[in-house]
Amino acid sequence: MPEVQRLEALAERLRAVDPTMPSPAAKIRGWNLVSAAVQQSATVRSRSHSVKRLLLAAVAAAVLLVAGAIAASADSLPDSALYPLKAVVEQARGAFAFTPSDQLTYHLDLARTRLTEAEAMIARHRFDLASQALNAMNDQLNNAAVLVQTEKLADPAMAADMENRLLQAIATHDRQLAGLQGQVTNPAAQNAISEARDRAAQAVQLAKTPAANPSDKGPGNGSASPHPTPKH
Amino acid sequence: MGKAASDDDRPLIERVRRGDQDAARTLYERYFDRIYNYAYARLGRAEDAEDLAIDTMTRSLTRLDLFQDQGVAFSSWVYRIAHNATIDHYRRHGKVTLVPLDDATLPQSADPSELAIEHLSNEDLRLALRDLTDEQQQVLILRFFQDLTAAQVADIMGKSVGAVQALQHRALGSLERALQGRAVN
Repeated sequence: MPEVQRLEALAERLRAVDPTMPSPAAKIRGWNLVSAAVQQSATVRSRSHSVKRLLLAAVAAAVLLVAGAIAASADSLPDSALYPLKAVVEQARGAFAFTPSDQLTYHLDLARTRLTEAEAMIARHRFDLASQALNAMNDQLNNAAVLVQTEKLADPAMAADMENRLLQAIATHDRQLAGLQGQVTNPAAQNAISEARDRAAQAVQLAKTPAANPSDKGPGNGSASPHPTPKH
Repeated sequence: MGKAASDDDRPLIERVRRGDQDAARTLYERYFDRIYNYAYARLGRAEDAEDLAIDTMTRSLTRLDLFQDQGVAFSSWVYRIAHNATIDHYRRHGKVTLVPLDDATLPQSADPSELAIEHLSNEDLRLALRDLTDEQQQVLILRFFQDLTAAQVADIMGKSVGAVQALQHRALGSLERALQGRAVN
């Protein structure tokens, strides 16, 4: 008989082998074991899902809490518990000011914010906090003036534009401070405002000072100081 | 023995994932006998076949999270688990046939045409089957004991249909020689 026919016959014979079936007892025993395992697996899965849901809810709540606190801190004043968070957010914002022009915008924004806070603190008779806010405002104006001076070496045209923006901002602030000075009677507040106006004027002088060429400077004085002492 | 289900299993699988015991029972009833039959053909002992079938069904129905990434029919997945369990069993008990019978020391002088197939008992066939290699046993059991198509077997074994057909042809030849050898001895 040819091989193909023999193998076909053998295949047919294999098909005719009676299937071997498990005993009913084995099948019941099997189901009991499988059923218990399936039930246990479902319970573990359910517990695992519950824990995951709880964790997700906790993370979502924490995110909402932090986002809410950050949003609320944006308008907070120096006497508020959220005020330190506002400082952190402002610092973070500064990290994203890459160009000199962006950095100037950043310093001028913060100076304007500090002035607004000083006005609010004076209105609440918190003269100590008002004084701190005015000092912080002048620090920002001084930083802006240093920035303008540094830019004069790198890009004079850009520096001129930046200087113009700084002088306009300081002029606006000075008008506000002058108005405020006419309204307050507290001597400490009067002094703080007066000092702030003087320091703002120094920032103007600094910004207007022509840039010093680093090669003209003596040893150990090769770069612009972050806190220059303006000449009078 | 009926054909392995595939699409019909999907709704049941989803229900089992949600902890539905009735759906688990339906799948158990659908596959337990087949897997037992497969295991018995491979191992030759009722107790071992029972344990292997229970183990296979437990793994299949409790690890459905793994099944969704396999890209094969549920029935193929169950047979693959059964096959792996068989290999584990062989490893533990020290029985694996790795050398194809084409190369084995079976008597080559006997004339295959003398083999009287009609006189072979089921037990003769089962015993001779276990002389074949692991893959040869698997293909013959799935194709002829389990009555699966070549395509279904290809899915289970991770081979092409052509490769399964070639393997089946070689396996039948080996089985014929094994039967002949047993008759001579």
